[in-house]
Amino acid sequence: MYRQAKYDEPLIFELGKKGRKAHIPPRCDFSRDKIKIPENMIRTAPPDLPELHEGEVMRHYVRLSHMNYCIDINTYPLGSCTMKYNPKINETVARSEKMMYMHPNQPEETAQGLLEIMYELQVALADLAGLKYTTLQTPAGASGEYCGLALIKAYHEDQGDTQRDEIIAPDSSHGTNPASTVMNGMKLIEIKSNDDGRVNMDALKSAVSDKTAGLMLTNPNTLGIFEKDIIEMSNIVRDSGGLLYYDGANFNAIIGKVRPGDMGYDVLHFNLHKTFATPHGGGGPGSAAVCCNEILEPYLPVPTIDYDKDKDYYYFNYDRPKSVGKLHGYYGNVAIALRAYAYIAALGYKGLVNTANHAVLTANYAVRKLEKLDGFRLSHGPDIPRKHEGVLEATPFLRNYDVSGMDIAKMLLSRGLHAPTVYFPLIAHEAWMVEPTENENKDRIDKYVATVAEEMEKAKVDPDYAHHAPKWTSVGRIDSGWSVRNLVLSYKLLKEKREKGEYIP
Amino acid sequence: MKNDFKGHPYLANSQQDLDEMMEYLGIKDIEELYSDIPDEIRFKGELDLPFYKSEYELLEAIKTKLSKNITTREVRSFIGGGVLDIYMPAIQDELLRRTEFYSAYTPYQPEISQGTLQSLFEYQSMICELTGMNVANCSLYDWATGVGEAALMSARITKRNKFIYTAATAPNREAVLKSYVVGANLELASIPYDPATGKIDITKAKEMLDDTVAGIYIENPNFFGVIEDKLDEIITKAHEHGVKVVVGADMNSLALMKPPAEYGADICIGEGQTIGGGPLNFGGPLLGILAMKFDRRETRQMPGRIVGITTTSNEGERAYANTLETREQHIKRERATSNICTNEGLIALSCAIHLSLLGPEGYKDSAETMYLSAHYVAEELEKNGIKRIFDSEFFNTFVLDLKIPKEKKKEFTDFMLERKIFPGIPHSFDGNNYDYLVTTSYLLCEEDLNDYVKAIGEWRN
Repeated sequence: MYRQAKYDEPLIFELGKKGRKAHIPPRCDFSRDKIKIPENMIRTAPPDLPELHEGEVMRHYVRLSHMNYCIDINTYPLGSCTMKYNPKINETVARSEKMMYMHPNQPEETAQGLLEIMYELQVALADLAGLKYTTLQTPAGASGEYCGLALIKAYHEDQGDTQRDEIIAPDSSHGTNPASTVMNGMKLIEIKSNDDGRVNMDALKSAVSDKTAGLMLTNPNTLGIFEKDIIEMSNIVRDSGGLLYYDGANFNAIIGKVRPGDMGYDVLHFNLHKTFATPHGGGGPGSAAVCCNEILEPYLPVPTIDYDKDKDYYYFNYDRPKSVGKLHGYYGNVAIALRAYAYIAALGYKGLVNTANHAVLTANYAVRKLEKLDGFRLSHGPDIPRKHEGVLEATPFLRNYDVSGMDIAKMLLSRGLHAPTVYFPLIAHEAWMVEPTENENKDRIDKYVATVAEEMEKAKVDPDYAHHAPKWTSVGRIDSGWSVRNLVLSYKLLKEKREKGEYIP
Repeated sequence: MKNDFKGHPYLANSQQDLDEMMEYLGIKDIEELYSDIPDEIRFKGELDLPFYKSEYELLEAIKTKLSKNITTREVRSFIGGGVLDIYMPAIQDELLRRTEFYSAYTPYQPEISQGTLQSLFEYQSMICELTGMNVANCSLYDWATGVGEAALMSARITKRNKFIYTAATAPNREAVLKSYVVGANLELASIPYDPATGKIDITKAKEMLDDTVAGIYIENPNFFGVIEDKLDEIITKAHEHGVKVVVGADMNSLALMKPPAEYGADICIGEGQTIGGGPLNFGGPLLGILAMKFDRRETRQMPGRIVGITTTSNEGERAYANTLETREQHIKRERATSNICTNEGLIALSCAIHLSLLGPEGYKDSAETMYLSAHYVAEELEKNGIKRIFDSEFFNTFVLDLKIPKEKKKEFTDFMLERKIFPGIPHSFDGNNYDYLVTTSYLLCEEDLNDYVKAIGEWRN
């Protein structure tokens, strides 16, 4: 039985009263009269920030936290998101004073401990990638993609191939792939997938030309299917003069077992918040790392973190004339990188290989069990083993019972389980993209599948129940259309609308 | 992996579980699930990765490595430049360690994610209060990427491809701006500053503003710490030509200074770390702030996630949800306003908690201490004949005229370190000598400030 907390919690602005105090910041005794801001630049009215005492701030956010689902409550099988347990030791090490109180502009000789860890992490990631060089500067996966594509672009321009502005990606790719391509000023050439979900080789052959900058491909792909023809693909792209980009969102499937560099890729990004278990934080902070081979190395963002063996000294290298520049104000999400380092070091090579093995086994187990439920079918290539995830289609259920994949997802919420990623990838219909990760044991998966089955049975008898799910959650089925029509995007706009007498729920 | 798995705290299944799942799938070895991968690309070696057998050993090893660091709490730090050492009240980390917040995903299922969504709505609202704007997004990566995103956004809104910015922009933010606009092919031009005052050159700025410019970026206080108080003519001219005015504000300065919206900014960006986003963390994670004046058309050009109020199938029920999602990559793919997906959600929550703790009074009080500490140091140094480069009003940052030759920089760093001081950010105007950008937070007491003045004096003698 699941009942999520429901508090009708007011906005924190509405909980305060003038004169209440939650915190006293350190204060100096200098006379306040000495403050001289140029008159036309003086703030006249203080910002309307909440005024509460400390305990009430605590209560407000604790109550809000109760209205949140998280990986430490139950299964969170979001495909392509790799929701794994966030080891608590990583939170502890990230809160070391020797991590938190380090200014990015302090002298590098006073940051040798941290630089050593960052350097070791760069090497470990490069080893796993089968590529030689790493930057940790990219603060999220999309930033990693932007960086990797920028390297490819810079390389071609350096070769005088300025016409190479096309990135080829399959129609099953993550949404960030085309968006990162366009942000780099390149064009996306989308190619169709085969019936088995793999890249269509003829489509690839006809897509490459002297305008090809590269192929952007995650492997295994978003259906959880390994692109077995990757060597042939890489030859096709290479013969055309293009390079290969590996989207590391799905790396959990192959850690230590297959290396993108050995598959012919030139560059990749890792999502440290996926593969290496750093928290998702309800939407970040994440962190990415970009690894590349020697032909792309000259273009890596400045600074790189290098090591002088003779002096046993770690340093920032800004002497990189061909660099694409900076992609973050400093060196990326360092405190996240430290967590990823701790994760890798807790598992070691063998542990990481087991991680991949177990993630792939649980995914196949979950997908094959779900596939047997009346109303689901496996999307694409029924006989091909899945890797870390698999995609089901709820099309038969929608057709036969007028209950959609989204409805089933919402019913699961009523049962205290998170839904899989729904309606992605776009090449599947009524998609249910399932990725349990190595974090789910067999009993949990059995329970998950049994719950899905129970809910689907209920929906068959009473489709209305399904259409109105979820129940027992903090709020009922969201109507996001209202938010788009009314655009109440801040407390200020809320107050304005209230004053005008407009309806606000 | 045949029957040899001994268990690991991060792996949920026992060998028996694995065997049972394999049996269900009709396989004898997990390797069979990898059988479709060509043998020639399988990795057959073993990697020498860092490995510690127990959690205790791991903790000790990391602690030993980190012990080589010297922190801003072990010395007196006068370093700012966009991020600043701040105090996070104990309650703040207590809340941030709530797993309900940090181990949740992006709220793709809003019905069970109201905690994240409401707190992000509150964060957006607080940013609006500080900046005077009425829409803010859920966060960008940091201030620097905010400059890049603001340039691209201005270009989308105006359908123009030239972006101008003050030369008194922080070098790291300028560098990120440059690499962000390559793809969109934006033309960049920098507006010089007056070498005496350090303020933006009004005449030059006005000359550069015309109908081809998408946006103008001004930092206030600027990178040198100088308050830009003569912006009226520039902003008026910008608006006459339909140019978007982007202001990069020091978020603490806004406790004392006019919110950018009130003096004509259309878009305001900045760094949220300094107002409670989190500890320094060697520069990341940070919190990129992006706010704007609401406009039905233009707000649709904003990058990143935005939370709005909405309703549910239960009549009259208030809820929060990601809105205007058709701007985003997971819906619009190559037509998205930005590729940003995972952002800095938890840091935004952290910032909201911090601002709730400060309240209007604490926010102002802490900014006043920053201001007064910096002015005290500047005045005391001036008494000793050591001047600021720019003779203008400032908030908590100024450039100290030290002219340390390149070859003596290391010696100066060591000299100050011996006195337990990080003296600031070295900045060279002539390529040969270093002056120092000095910033004060509220963490240093009068004695620390006096020590700084004394140390600089000793160096000069």
